[in-house]
Amino acid sequence: MKTSPLDLAHELKKEGYLIGQEAATTLFLALALEKPCLIEGPAGVGKTQLALALARAEKRRLIRLQCYEGLDISKALYDWNYAKQLLRLQLAKTEDWDEIKFDLYSEEFLLSRPLLEAILSPEPVLLLIDELDKSDEEFESFLLELLAEQQVSIPELGTLTSKTKPIVILTSNNSRDFSDALRRRCIHIYLTYPSLEREISILSSHAPELSRGLTKDVCEFVAKIRKLPLQKLPSVSETIDFARALDALQKVELNYGDLMGTLSVLLKYPKDVAKLEERLKKWETEALRSRE
Amino acid sequence: METMDGWVFIRLVHALRQVSLPISSQDILDAQTCLVRYPDIPCKQILKSLLIHRPQDAGIFETVWKIAVENRESTELKDSLDATLKDKEENRDSQGIGGQGAGRGSGGISLTAIGDILDHCHISKLIPFSRLEELASSGAEYEEVVKTVLADIDYYTWINSFDLAYQRGTLSEDEWYTHQNNRAFILREIQQQVLMSQVTLENSWKPLVRQHWLFKPLSSLSEEEKELVRTSIRKWARKLALRPGSRWKSYNKGTIDIGKIVQQSVQWEGGLFHLCYRRRIPRAPELVVLCDVSNSMASFVEFLIHLVTCLRARFRKIRVFFFIDSVWDVSEFVWDDDLSGVKQEIKSWGHKASSGFSDYGAVFKELAENILREVSSRAILIVLGDGKNNYRPAQPEYFARISEKVRKVFWLNPLEEMEWSEPDNVMKVYQNNCSKVYRCRTASDLQRIVKDVF
Repeated sequence: MKTSPLDLAHELKKEGYLIGQEAATTLFLALALEKPCLIEGPAGVGKTQLALALARAEKRRLIRLQCYEGLDISKALYDWNYAKQLLRLQLAKTEDWDEIKFDLYSEEFLLSRPLLEAILSPEPVLLLIDELDKSDEEFESFLLELLAEQQVSIPELGTLTSKTKPIVILTSNNSRDFSDALRRRCIHIYLTYPSLEREISILSSHAPELSRGLTKDVCEFVAKIRKLPLQKLPSVSETIDFARALDALQKVELNYGDLMGTLSVLLKYPKDVAKLEERLKKWETEALRSRE
Repeated sequence: METMDGWVFIRLVHALRQVSLPISSQDILDAQTCLVRYPDIPCKQILKSLLIHRPQDAGIFETVWKIAVENRESTELKDSLDATLKDKEENRDSQGIGGQGAGRGSGGISLTAIGDILDHCHISKLIPFSRLEELASSGAEYEEVVKTVLADIDYYTWINSFDLAYQRGTLSEDEWYTHQNNRAFILREIQQQVLMSQVTLENSWKPLVRQHWLFKPLSSLSEEEKELVRTSIRKWARKLALRPGSRWKSYNKGTIDIGKIVQQSVQWEGGLFHLCYRRRIPRAPELVVLCDVSNSMASFVEFLIHLVTCLRARFRKIRVFFFIDSVWDVSEFVWDDDLSGVKQEIKSWGHKASSGFSDYGAVFKELAENILREVSSRAILIVLGDGKNNYRPAQPEYFARISEKVRKVFWLNPLEEMEWSEPDNVMKVYQNNCSKVYRCRTASDLQRIVKDVF
């Protein structure tokens, strides 16, 4: 159990995740109150990475449920093992029906999916419900019982309550709004792009082979790009890829003039690349002028 | 670390609830638990973490916090008045960065004298408190008061001088971004100061509620608030996109797909099979959108088109028309995620020769005679217009013809209901032929319409 937000931030840093003070406080309070934590923010700011690092820091097994449109209870919570049930029936032709009927819906024939696995786990786990905004509203409503009471109801078996209270982390890319009921049950963190200083630290820890000058140049360049009106802003992982790409090209510093061909590592839409290329010319002129 | 006064806590929760933040009893209990258990963590951080459930509420929390918790500092602000007035004398006839900005306003320090080096901690000293009190008690609208205060501190001269410097190339892009940040900061600070003075004067949270982005007229939103509305529209639309059409509502998995069951059964040698269900598809009629893009309507159109763009997957066919005194088709813009084309089209009035004054009668006539035959009888027609016909003939027979042909007609009007019966407004004439007329003035109105219509 971490005793302060600073302590938590320190533990996460050891696991390779640099968290801001405000987010660390919120996450710390969520853990202290044993409440689910809903992490929102644009793609690539490190929402899933935070959950993974937290699982390592808390020494808990990670159980991950990736959400998508059409995800239902049979894929998220449980299903009955029909083949095994049929085999059981074939083997027990002479047995008493009442006994078999009861037996067929026992835990032996239950296929645990991630949510049930987290509830039934004998050791403490971290349940990551990733990209919840991709799932349907029905699934979101179904989650309410799990989030509030840490229990699930299976009609044939009754209510199953968690034995070890899993840490629940939900992530969302903000593509749709959630109900008030879901939000109320969670502590909310909004992660955004890191500040220049923090991005330099992140890049230095993920790519220590880079020169200090290149690391600083790349982060400053990315921070500048994030101010442009682009369709998709570069994420932290794209910053790392971009810096590694420049390093592979034997660059020790970033020059606006020789970035052509590398920009697609950073930006994913041709329209955005074209916009940036246009801007680069201006920045290059400005840089030359300031040197003079 | 200082502890939080119970009365201040209650006042804060009450204020946050007043401005539409959903704070439950459980939230209060959690907050109290953490305030007691973790005295080393700043109160503001604890409360922000536990009471904010949506990212868009963070801004309003900051404002409420300043008013409800930090308002005690207003006395210090009053004390600073003398110092400010003294400083003001020293800043007379200064000149700004773009070679402009001579002189200053009448209320406080001139921004043109400061340049772009702002002391963020003491920005409030720019405005004398007595001036704010005076303006707030004059009965002027919030926007007006903000504008007056900005003029007082030479804000407009200040931003013009930087715009000019940037255009001339004497300001680098980095300096330009720094200035943009300063500009946004000053604007936000002054808006907060004005709000604080209005809340104090009215002794109620209503001024704050009126300035919540959900309840503000769409035409008076700041760029930041516009982005909030656009994000919310995307979310509402996505929620709708996931809502199944009514045809499959009888069973939430859809209907059994015999073909697929047989196919899978064969794969399993006829032994075991799973029931397969047809994919639910959204109800998909045709949508026809007709928008008045005359000057008074432009800002509202932008948001409706954004909504339609987000909802395009729900419809088999979408047609969008703009009009002032004649109609033109702009459906192509709905298929592009980038709305800059639409904005340009609204601004330029489609490069059409137009008087700039709406003529609903002529527009409905043109629609009924030339376009109506291409529209399906299952279509929903949405008209966005204020109904101001500039004393031209309403020609209601054409609108009646349109209304008969399509399945439903919804009219979205950004004006208040009492304005619909003004002499040059024809809303009342057309109202009988509409399935429903909605007031569509704020993001909150738009949210209600999204739920009702789509």
